[in-house]
Amino acid sequence: MSHNRNFVSTKAAGAPHGTHAIWHALSRYSSLLLMLLVCGVSAGLGLFVMRDSRIADAETQKMYEGSVLGFRRIGELQYEAQETRRSTLYALTTNDSNLQVEYADQSRRADRQVSDGISEYLKHARIPREVEVGKRLRDDWSAYLKIRDEVLASILEGSTREAVELDITGGVPSFDRVRQDLEVIKRLYDEQAAHQLAIVDESSRRSVTRLIAVITLTVLFASVSIWAIQRSRMIVAMQLARLQMDFVASISHELRTPLSVIRSAAENITDGVIEGTEQLTRYGGMIRSQTRQITELVNQILLFASTRDGRNRYVLRPVQVPQIIEIVLENTSELVQEEGIVLETRIDSGLPNVVVDASALAQCLQNLLINAIKYSGNNKWIAISASVPHGQDEILISVKDSGIGIASSELKRIFEPFYRSPSVCAAQIHGTGLGLPLAKRIAEAMGGSLSVSSELGRGSVFTIHLPVAKTSEVRTAVGHL
Amino acid sequence: MQRAANVALIWIAAGLPILALVIGDPRTSSFSAEERAASEQNLAIIVNLSNTLDGVSRDELRRIFLGERSHWANGRRITLVMMEPGRPERKAILRDVCQMNETDYNNRILHDLFTGELFVSPKTLASPTGVRKFVFNVPGAIGYVRATDVDETVKVLRVDGRLPEDKEYPLHVEARAVK
Repeated sequence: MSHNRNFVSTKAAGAPHGTHAIWHALSRYSSLLLMLLVCGVSAGLGLFVMRDSRIADAETQKMYEGSVLGFRRIGELQYEAQETRRSTLYALTTNDSNLQVEYADQSRRADRQVSDGISEYLKHARIPREVEVGKRLRDDWSAYLKIRDEVLASILEGSTREAVELDITGGVPSFDRVRQDLEVIKRLYDEQAAHQLAIVDESSRRSVTRLIAVITLTVLFASVSIWAIQRSRMIVAMQLARLQMDFVASISHELRTPLSVIRSAAENITDGVIEGTEQLTRYGGMIRSQTRQITELVNQILLFASTRDGRNRYVLRPVQVPQIIEIVLENTSELVQEEGIVLETRIDSGLPNVVVDASALAQCLQNLLINAIKYSGNNKWIAISASVPHGQDEILISVKDSGIGIASSELKRIFEPFYRSPSVCAAQIHGTGLGLPLAKRIAEAMGGSLSVSSELGRGSVFTIHLPVAKTSEVRTAVGHL
Repeated sequence: MQRAANVALIWIAAGLPILALVIGDPRTSSFSAEERAASEQNLAIIVNLSNTLDGVSRDELRRIFLGERSHWANGRRITLVMMEPGRPERKAILRDVCQMNETDYNNRILHDLFTGELFVSPKTLASPTGVRKFVFNVPGAIGYVRATDVDETVKVLRVDGRLPEDKEYPLHVEARAVK
């Protein structure tokens, strides 16, 4: 095989090419692919929206907990501050030193709670305003406590009047300042809660927008998917219709030629143009030849239809390849002689059996041989060989010609049903475009394959690859696409 | 003579069960002089933490507790804190500092209040904790508690240059009173 010889295996030979291939693939997988795409995009966007919603929920929860905790702390601070002052004033209401000491103790316990609360507030203060108010509260509270201590001392000493004066002149104003500071802190919490609520609101609005976007995109993708699916189906349908038209045209052409010959011969006989036994014999042979051609054509079509539908069942049994080749040569000997073909056979001795359907393999090989005869060009030379490559467990049956060859661009399409190369059509070489697809299907149905290598202007080699028989068991296989 | 012997016998008869009781009591039987001393508790004189005074003499202390001295050196009025009558600590102060009994002390205070020599009567508290808290709250207060009742909220004064944990500290709560 020359270096620039093109080679295609039937495993890929049936595949369409270029734009056609893309649309072909789309037509087969478009629904699935596009649905997957839509699902993927929708799921991705959905997850994104869910994540967003979860964040918003977490923010809301955090805000709620922060607000509740903050307000509770402020409430506790306010209560304990009041308790500090209240206990101090209670000490004024009695002359019993024991009770006064108890009230003083209560006041001090409460003021420790307030001081701890203020420290806690300052520790958690984030914004400068919080820090500022917190520090002011701490200072005001310390100032109040100093006065409170003096008031308590005066009460315990028994100087009630002095205690009252101290409380009115110093205690009340300083405690008012503390109360105001606590109010400011409470307002700050309110503002922060409102701010956080606005953030959550914004986040929620963003989620809704994204949800709408997801729905819109999903609808858009679904529309595009439906359009693409419909378009791919339409293209496939058009392609099928075109192929059918081509097929009908091709078949009509194939039928018309022999029918014309038959009709002419019949007219000549009817009109008495034919004279003598010799001429009559010649016309009879012509009619018989044309009729056989039509019969073969019809058989070919029926066989193709049966393999396409999967109705054709093959009985696989061990078969000797030389016998099959012999049958094929016998079947085509007349055609070979008519076309003046020089046919060579090279069959290795001691070939193992192959597990095939004998008649199907004969049909496959015959198609290849007829194909080679048809496109053998002026050289009129064909070689059939059968061999087992060293170290492999398959038999190769090759049909080689030195004819017109196949362009590399055509190689991928020659196994498509009804396909006929434009150059072949132009050269008025008749055919249905079913011979090679049929051969390929038969080879594959029997567990083998069909490969081709060709070089334009120098000929082609079609090779059937069949597995070597390992057992003598009989199996069945279904001819299918 | 016979009569004297009878009286002696009666005394012996009455005293024997008491002696037996005393000897039979394991607590009193093993109550040595050292242990008795150890069981006695010293009485701490306490003032507010802000008070700059470190110590006083027993005479000075007597003047303070009898109201003869009414202000501290910094001008702050002295507030006396006493425990309720009947408390061992109060008895110890009256005995060791004021050198008078409860009745005499009360009379003395009433007299001084009546005559205007004393401005405010001493504050009376029921418990050592109350005394401690009072002293903690009032800068000019002075009171007393057992040394074991002292904590960091109050300041302990030296008496005659000695702290309660020192040897020969002069103020004690009687051991029997402790029991």
